[in-house]
Amino acid sequence: MKKILIKGGTLVFPQKGVFQDVDILLESGLITRIGKGIEDSRAHLINASNLLVGPGFINIHVHLREPGRETEENLLTGSRAAARGGFTSVVSMPNTHPPIDNPILVRYLLLRAKEIGLVNIFPVGAITVGLEGKEMAEYGLLKEAGVIALSDDGRGVQDARLLYLAFQYAQYFNLPFILHEEDENLSRDGEISEGKVATLSGKRAIPRVAEESLMARDLVLAYRTGARVHFTHLSTSLEVELLRWFQEKMPVSADVTPHHLLLIEDDVLGLGTEAKVKPPLRSLEDQKALKEGIKEGVISILASDHAPHPSEDKSRSFSEAPFGISNLEITVPLYAKALIEEGIINWVELWEKLSYNPALFLGLDNKGILEEGRDADITIVDPGTRKRVEVSNFESQGKNCPFENWSLPGWPVYTIVDGRIVMAEGSIVESEFC
Amino acid sequence: MKWKHKDLLGINLLSKEEIEYLLERGKYFREFLDCSPKKMKYGEGYCLVNFFLEPSTRTRVSFETAGRLLGMEVVNFTSEASSFQKGESLEDTAKTLSRMKFDVLVVRHHQSGVAEYLAQLLPLHVINAGDGMREHPTQALLDLLTLQRKFGYFQGLKVAIVGDILHSRVARSLTLGLKKLGAEVFFSGPPTLLPLAMEHLGAKIIFPVEEAVKGVDVIYLLRIQKERQEAGYFPSIREYAHFFGLKEKWLDRENSRPLIMHPGPVNRGVEIGYSFTEEDFSLIEEQVTCGVAVRMATLETLLQGEEQ
Ligand SMILES: [Zn+2]
Repeated sequence: MKKILIKGGTLVFPQKGVFQDVDILLESGLITRIGKGIEDSRAHLINASNLLVGPGFINIHVHLREPGRETEENLLTGSRAAARGGFTSVVSMPNTHPPIDNPILVRYLLLRAKEIGLVNIFPVGAITVGLEGKEMAEYGLLKEAGVIALSDDGRGVQDARLLYLAFQYAQYFNLPFILHEEDENLSRDGEISEGKVATLSGKRAIPRVAEESLMARDLVLAYRTGARVHFTHLSTSLEVELLRWFQEKMPVSADVTPHHLLLIEDDVLGLGTEAKVKPPLRSLEDQKALKEGIKEGVISILASDHAPHPSEDKSRSFSEAPFGISNLEITVPLYAKALIEEGIINWVELWEKLSYNPALFLGLDNKGILEEGRDADITIVDPGTRKRVEVSNFESQGKNCPFENWSLPGWPVYTIVDGRIVMAEGSIVESEFC
Repeated sequence: MKWKHKDLLGINLLSKEEIEYLLERGKYFREFLDCSPKKMKYGEGYCLVNFFLEPSTRTRVSFETAGRLLGMEVVNFTSEASSFQKGESLEDTAKTLSRMKFDVLVVRHHQSGVAEYLAQLLPLHVINAGDGMREHPTQALLDLLTLQRKFGYFQGLKVAIVGDILHSRVARSLTLGLKKLGAEVFFSGPPTLLPLAMEHLGAKIIFPVEEAVKGVDVIYLLRIQKERQEAGYFPSIREYAHFFGLKEKWLDRENSRPLIMHPGPVNRGVEIGYSFTEEDFSLIEEQVTCGVAVRMATLETLLQGEEQ
């Protein structure tokens, strides 16, 4: 494997919260040197002047649709989209067909991921068999097969006793939970957020309590059992407050999606089904609270909830169309717009939430940190240049994206995984150079 | 020793000396069991009723054998055959048995505390053969006798109990007994079946099992009930067997291998896999024989107390 020397850039050290203008050398899948004026004539050279170089981004929430719906997305198209989006690692949710509730399926996914060899894919195992919310899945066997966390994403676990036992049992195997909170008796067949738009448009409302009440219950369950839990895709201000309150008492974390930071319920009127998503887009006040939570560090991880759907499905009537937004390759520029351009956080903090913190939560000790001896998973971002979003050019098969034609800053320009360049200047590098 | 208890309700109520006395008599009867013919006249004229309202052939037969070997009359009253199912209360049934002038009533019931309740209600000797999740004192005594015969001491002996501690009266009684005699006890198993409050029994909880069994003299595997899976405590039998079933690496040591015990009957392929030979868990057979011996010792001791 060839060496890679990245020169002239600004290195981002999220673990220390600093930038430094130094060079970095990668060799045999590891970071081998960091310092000023490194020279190596045998190394492949990347000129990184005016670019930011940091540990690879880790996306804690994506849907890759394999197995079962490979024509909508699969490990290959999803990996390409991730590489293009600057993600060196993605955490794939288990709500496939069949769901990832069995060690054989985990082994299959990991073999496929290895075969594709673009980005690291970390499968999540189901909390309950078939995501049906009735019985615990085999956490020990799932962990042995390679799952990194547990989730029933797409659904909340309705049965409190089941989750109470799951929280206790999973600790034996050191598995954390990624929780999608939704009380189905409260969300029912709701389509968009309760509020002004639902009232005026006559669409069925999803109340905030659907997420908040289940989150409150699960915070209590986690507190009493000692389970490590992470709440994904927060959408309301009260959820941020709940989290803030419990963070005084225990380690607990949460993430958001870019769309909840850039769109609100009013946008559903113009964007139609492309803005139909769960949890639903909420009010401007909720959005402000999410941004405040990010600024304060209460929300410590930024995710995608990349949810590709075929155009046929999204072009159905509003009520019939599925929930979800495809955003994997523009997640970083979307966050750059929502958080950096608005002055809420800077690039080091963004890197912390997109790389260091997810690695810490997932127990990926050699990722999320720029340091000699750590994994050579690197993302290089051009913070200065703006580009328009062209959904038709997505590597992802999911073209269901409400951000068509938006002008965004902060695009990833190189993605390096395990010491190999997988994306350069926005294009996938098809085969390894030697 | 002057015996001061009418009944044997639990290990919790016995002193160290009383446990030691029962073990000493148990040892005597265990040696007696190796002789033939083996019939004693000591219990002649006394009458024992096995009052089993929860199925258990093994324990009932063990008590029946102990009683008969001592020369006692033995009557079995089990839930299947009883009018108890036709709505008669526990109190009425027990009083009826008492009026039939039995001397000893051996009771097994799914409710914790039933043995104590009957002991207060009835004038005869009550022996607890397992009440709910509370105690199973003769099981503990037979386990202790087995250990005593094997090791000859309890002080500093290290025992790891693995499995469904939460629902296990066997684990409760045995832990109480071992602690009174100076042994060290460690618990491990699925955390759902081992809440932290179990440490009130005097044992130390250690996860994972591999850590708990390090350096112990004995690994005591509890029988896992299929209904615990149905009740959601663990996901599957195959996962239980894989993580909480006996592993060769738990036994593999430079010096002495730990001994394996189990209250029986073993779920082969679950608590103990098919790769283990009879030799690996030879103590389990000894436990069965010791069961008859300690039940003889218990009957003798309670009846003797009456004479004093
Ligand atoms: Zn979700």
